[in-house]
Amino acid sequence: MTIPQLLIDVMQLLFDLAVPAATCTLVLAGVALRQESGVNFEVGGKFQRWMLWSVILLTLPQLLSWFAAQGINVPAQSAGIAGGWLRGIETSLASFVSDVVVGKLGPILAAFFVTKAALDASQGSSPLGSVVAAIFLLSVTGTAKLMQGFNSGGTFATVDMLASLWNYLAGTILPEAAGLAVAGTVINYARKRPFMPLVFSALAFLSVSGLWKLVQAMVG
Amino acid sequence: MFENGLLNLTNWTGNVIMPTLAGLFFAAAIYQFSKAHPYAHLAWAGFAALMCSGLLRALEAFAQQAGPNDPDRYWISILTLVNWVGNVMLPLYGVIQIVMLVLHSAGVLERMTIGDAWVRNLVAAMMCFGLSGLLRLAEFWIQNGTAGVR
Repeated sequence: MTIPQLLIDVMQLLFDLAVPAATCTLVLAGVALRQESGVNFEVGGKFQRWMLWSVILLTLPQLLSWFAAQGINVPAQSAGIAGGWLRGIETSLASFVSDVVVGKLGPILAAFFVTKAALDASQGSSPLGSVVAAIFLLSVTGTAKLMQGFNSGGTFATVDMLASLWNYLAGTILPEAAGLAVAGTVINYARKRPFMPLVFSALAFLSVSGLWKLVQAMVG
Repeated sequence: MFENGLLNLTNWTGNVIMPTLAGLFFAAAIYQFSKAHPYAHLAWAGFAALMCSGLLRALEAFAQQAGPNDPDRYWISILTLVNWVGNVMLPLYGVIQIVMLVLHSAGVLERMTIGDAWVRNLVAAMMCFGLSGLLRLAEFWIQNGTAGVR
């Protein structure tokens, strides 16, 4: 049965808007990150879910190729959208995401988080969560490019990207967080607050891969 | 980009803010000392604030005693920390205690706590006027410390 051109164009529109949609979900993940303290995340929380959606949207063609490999007939992607109206819709939505969401809304939200950091500090809370969330929002484009670089292109690209994200978090982000933990240790010591947990946390941040191997070895 | 942002935040916190706060910690320590209140932890905090990057290097060295995929890496890093505290920090603290022993037995510190307070007031005044010099002295000690024990 021949698929109508309109449906082919709509499918192509959705495929082409997957990357801009992933950018939007990354912005939502940045907001959710602050809601879940900023320096941590809740298991099953909104940050985790929006990041998972970002991964799924960025690996949509590869995810569908897995279904094709199982024998399910998945229509092939076309070179572009034939209809002018739908092409215009695609261009407008992509421009909206790049110019408005990433170009304007993200920096404004980050600025609000920086203000929130100052207000948090005035109330005696740590400003770090708001600052980290602001940095996340300002680096959405770079994060999306980084995640696209993690796309292995195979049928398991979704889980491969999740594994690469874990390696990036454990090998790059957490060692940098260890430096912040050292600064937090000194400040806590000066304020006569518990500081040893931060020392052990800093060592743990530098040893996450080893801790993962330890847990795997415990399971056997 | 997120990695760069976080790295710059860490560098700014450890190399700009913490040394600046060190001055505040030393000033608070001098104030506490002048009131005959406990001041030692603020003085140590001032030193530690100047040594943030060195402390991080120390923790990295502890963690790198084992390979990145070694299941015992965390345990070995804690073990190295304990060895360092016992074999480096405690002997240095012992030297400080011997110095305090000499000062106590000579009666120098009695002038600063009970009885006459004029020595404490004199030392506090000297430190207040010379705080920037004390900060430079602390920074000089730390910079000299990077060359190791000589």
